[in-house]
Amino acid sequence: MSILRLSHVEVRVPDLELATAYYCEVVGLIETARESERVFLKGWDEHQHHSVVLTWEPTHGLNHFGFKVTELEDLDLYAARLKEAGVDVVRYGPDEWAPGHGEAIRFTLPSGHSMELVHGMQQVGNLLPLTNPPPKPLGLPGIAPPRIDHIFLTAEDVGGMTDFFVDVLGFRVTEQVVGDDGFRIATWLEVSHASHDIALVTGSNGGLHHFAWAVEDWTALRDAADVCAYHGVRIETNPTRHGATRGHCLYFFDPVGNRNEVFTGGYWVDPDNEPTIWTEAEMGRALFWYDGVVNQKFLTVHT
Amino acid sequence: MGILRLGHVDVTVTDLDLATAYYTEVLGMIVVERDADSVYLKCWDEVDHHSLRLVYAPRVGLDLMAFKVEHEDDLSDLENAVNRYGFPVQRISKGESVGQGESIRFETPSGQTMELVHDVEKVGGLLPKINPAPFVTGVPGIAPPRMDHLLVTAEEVGEATTFYTSVLGFRVTEQLLDGNGHQIGTWMERSFSPHDLAIVSGPNGGLHHFAFWLDDWESVRKAADTLAYNGIQIDVGPTRHGVTRGSTIYFFDPLGTRNEVFTGGYRPDPDFPTITWTEDNIGRAVFYYEGELNERFMKVHT
Repeated sequence: MSILRLSHVEVRVPDLELATAYYCEVVGLIETARESERVFLKGWDEHQHHSVVLTWEPTHGLNHFGFKVTELEDLDLYAARLKEAGVDVVRYGPDEWAPGHGEAIRFTLPSGHSMELVHGMQQVGNLLPLTNPPPKPLGLPGIAPPRIDHIFLTAEDVGGMTDFFVDVLGFRVTEQVVGDDGFRIATWLEVSHASHDIALVTGSNGGLHHFAWAVEDWTALRDAADVCAYHGVRIETNPTRHGATRGHCLYFFDPVGNRNEVFTGGYWVDPDNEPTIWTEAEMGRALFWYDGVVNQKFLTVHT
Repeated sequence: MGILRLGHVDVTVTDLDLATAYYTEVLGMIVVERDADSVYLKCWDEVDHHSLRLVYAPRVGLDLMAFKVEHEDDLSDLENAVNRYGFPVQRISKGESVGQGESIRFETPSGQTMELVHDVEKVGGLLPKINPAPFVTGVPGIAPPRMDHLLVTAEEVGEATTFYTSVLGFRVTEQLLDGNGHQIGTWMERSFSPHDLAIVSGPNGGLHHFAFWLDDWESVRKAADTLAYNGIQIDVGPTRHGVTRGSTIYFFDPLGTRNEVFTGGYRPDPDFPTITWTEDNIGRAVFYYEGELNERFMKVHT
C-alpha cells in the first residue's frame, strides 16, 4: 500500500560498550538483542524488534536507515520503481540482515545514503500488557522516549534528493527553505501525516545530521535536558522551538559524536497539503524560532 | 487510500446564536459561512471549509458525521462496499452541500448518518504559507488547532464495529469487553492515532461527544481555566483516559451537546495489536485517575 513511517537507524560507533551504556541508561532505550559487533535497541512503546542498531566500526555516522512498509508486496513494488529510476536494489530475506529484522530491500540514494524499506520485523511487544494496561511504564531510566520519530540527513543536492523522495518513493514535502537563487537549501518531508519523517539540509553527501525520538510534550523536553545535564551529556541546543514543523526540540550528542534530538509537537498534514516556504532571510527562524539566527555549528557539524 | 480522518461533525442546536457565540468565543473556532439554518465553523489550523456545522432544529443531536477520504475514487469503492453490505447509499452532488463537492451518505448499523467526502473547499489555515509563526495569536477561548474524533452510541457495539472495520476499513485499537466477552466499547482509527471514531453501548443514533485536539497537558489545564471562567459546565476532568492514554476534559455546550478537549495517545501501525479492557476495569479504562465512572458520563448523550 505505501511507506508507513521511519522504522530504524543503524549508526556506527567506535566504542560499542560506551554507546550501549549511553543509549540504554541516558536515552533509556531497551536492548533486545546483542551480537559481538552489534547491539539492537528500541523505545519502550515500540512493538518492533529494534529501532536503533549500534554497529561497531572505527568511525561514527550513519550506516543505513529504514522505513516500514505496510504490505510485503510493497517491497516488490518499490524495488521495481527504484530499478526504473536506475537505482540498484539488494533484497534481504526474512531475518537475513539481522535477528528479528524481517524482509527488506536496500539501495543507495543519489546522495550516497543507504536506505532500506522493511516489512515484517518481529513484533516483541511494548512494555505494557495488552489487557488493562496503565498509560505508561514507571521506573525506566533516562529520557525514556516512547518511539523513534524522524531522521535528518545532509546532501549536496537537496532539490534533486527531494524530487527523488517525492517522485520515486511517494514522500510529500511539508516545508522548505528556498534560497534567494531559487535553490532549495533544506526540505522537510512526510509519509505518516506528521510534520516530517525525514528532512534534508545542504551539506556533504551521505551525512547524518541527527535522528530524533518523539517525547510527549514540552515538560518532557525539559526533563530530557535535566537527564542529559545530570549525566554530563553534551547539550548542543537547549529546549527551544523550530519555526519549520513548529516542533519543540533539544539537541545533544551521544558519547561518540552522533547528534541526537528529542522532539515534540508539530501538526497533522493531509496528503494534499500545500508546502510552507521559508525564505533564506528567515532561515534562522525556520530552524530556531526563538533565537532567529542561523547557528553555523548546527549547520556544519554532522557525522 | 480509503478513509483519511474525521472531516466534519454536523450537530443540531435549538439556539443558533447562542451555540455560535459559544463555539467562537469559548471554544475559539472561526465562522467560515452562514446560511438560513446553519453556521459553518473551523479551527485555526484547519485548511478545509469547516469541521463543525451547527444546524438549527427543535432538538439537539447528531445530524451527520463526515469523514474525509484520500482519493476521489475511494468514494465509489466505499459506496460499493456499503451497498454490498446491504445498506442504501445516497449520492450528494456538487453544489448541494456548502463548502464541499460530491459526497456519499448512508445510515450505519449504529444508526448515525455517515458521510464520506473527498472534494472539500480549501479556505486555508490562519497562518501564512511563507515564513509562518508556529502559532496564532488573538484567537479567543481555547483555540484548538483542529477537530480530533467523535464517540457515538450503539445498541450492538460489536455489530457496528464489524461494519466500520470490514466495510470501511477502520482498525480497532482498543476494546472494552463485558463479562461474557461482548464488546461494549470500541475505539477505531484510520489516521494512525488511538481513535478517529469510537462506539459505546447506548441507543442507536446517539452522539456521546466530539473532541478537539490540543497540543499538550498544559493546554488542557488552560482549557479548564477558560471553561470555568466562562461558566461552562464541566462533566469530568482534567484527567487521563486509560483507553487511548489521552489527557482530557469533558464539558457541555450551552445546549447540552458534550464536547471534549483531548491530547496525547500514541501512534499505532496498521498491524497494532488490539488492547483489551475488561469490564471490572471499566473505571480505569475511561478515567484512569478516578478509577470509576460518573452516572452523568454514562447516561447523558444527545
